[in-house]
Amino acid sequence: HRRLPAVIPTPPVSASPFPNPKSQYCCLSRNFSAALTPLLPVQLPSRMETHLWYVVPDEVKSAPLLSKYMELLPQSERDHVLGFRGDQLQKSALLARTLVRTTIARYQVDGHLDPRSLRFKRNIHGKPEVEWETKDGFCPPPLQFNISHTSSLVACGVTMNSLIGIDVEEKRRRTKNNILAFAKRYFTAHEVEHLNAIPDSELQQQEFIKLWTLKEAYVKALGKGFSSSPFNTFTIRVNTAAQESFCASSGIAVETLDSPQNLTNNWQFALLELMGSHYVAICLERQETGGAGKAFPIKLTARKTIPSVEDELVSGTNAVVTIGGSVTQF
Amino acid sequence: MASITRASVSMPSLSTSVNQSQRRISGLNSVSFPVSGRSMIPSLRLQRGLQVCCAAKQETVDKVVAIVKKQLALPADAAVTGESKFAALGADSLDTVEIVMGLEEEFDITVEEESAQSITTVQEAADMIEKLVEK
Repeated sequence: HRRLPAVIPTPPVSASPFPNPKSQYCCLSRNFSAALTPLLPVQLPSRMETHLWYVVPDEVKSAPLLSKYMELLPQSERDHVLGFRGDQLQKSALLARTLVRTTIARYQVDGHLDPRSLRFKRNIHGKPEVEWETKDGFCPPPLQFNISHTSSLVACGVTMNSLIGIDVEEKRRRTKNNILAFAKRYFTAHEVEHLNAIPDSELQQQEFIKLWTLKEAYVKALGKGFSSSPFNTFTIRVNTAAQESFCASSGIAVETLDSPQNLTNNWQFALLELMGSHYVAICLERQETGGAGKAFPIKLTARKTIPSVEDELVSGTNAVVTIGGSVTQF
Repeated sequence: MASITRASVSMPSLSTSVNQSQRRISGLNSVSFPVSGRSMIPSLRLQRGLQVCCAAKQETVDKVVAIVKKQLALPADAAVTGESKFAALGADSLDTVEIVMGLEEEFDITVEEESAQSITTVQEAADMIEKLVEK
């Protein structure tokens, strides 16, 4: 695996990096007044590949670094970040914007590597997209991305062509409401049954979170907003290991209530356990199938990053464990 | 949100449902009208274009604030008002759905997913609750 030099020395953060970053951290041994390490360029994913990038906010403590990230954003996005209540929320919002800008910049589309120069827009349903410059002779790449974040993890998935939705959640996330009451209100009957059949409450909680992230990822991949696909209009079917050998598809599938006969083969799913602490659900538009509707496994490359400081290839390590769906890690 | 004191203007064609009349009212500073079953003069909110519609009672807003604080584990003295956005307070999509579920239980209403998606602030939640409770 490839790791760039230098972990940032992390002074204890007693002051907020917002909004006055030029405070006490000027005398770090790593000089942040110089430009950040250039982003390491990366090849665009091939048609069959999915790239997953993530940042762990707790590992990003340097106030000067965070203020450098802030400088990458246009004013509107800075205002949006500062609109969050409190340092921790502002930080994960900042890291989410930083991750998406720096990640897309790495692919050097049209020779550009400057995260600042990217523009984003929303489609008519509100899904964020890159707004490429319209230039003669420039055909924008069909690059697709989606981000998700919690206070403890920020993630971005990238593909070429395939619509993608991702959702991350802490494994130990607890709902305030009773799980089954919640599921009866918002999930489908099959999903309620699936949860109800789990006797251990801890496992039931985890299964709930897995279902939640998978359902979120599906809706985000569709990109039409949550009201167009209320959660009780589609079922996520998770096959157990015993059933998987009979199942042509990947082990996780979505079935929409309005066309239950067609187990919608258009979408494939991956469920990962990241760092032992988080679930990451990925939903992809299926590009090609093998014979008899059998899906090719998702080819996944996962990298942990602190943008412009350090990248680490983690696919194939125990930082990224496939727990659902058919995935090969590169 | 404009607050209403005594009537100095009467609105003859307004009957019980304020929603029926989305009139342009200019130069208005106070209004009262009979609303069946209620003795309280509802507070009004002037929107853009001086349309007048019913905004929620303070009591409703307070209950929403309490539910939001509980869901997001905010301290009791956290500053949360009608304008507060759920997302800005740290609510992710699961929190928002849980908040809506909490509101359904508290007010004995059902919120369709389509409406739930459009609630982004405390005020919007309170306004929606009042509409649903009226039914």
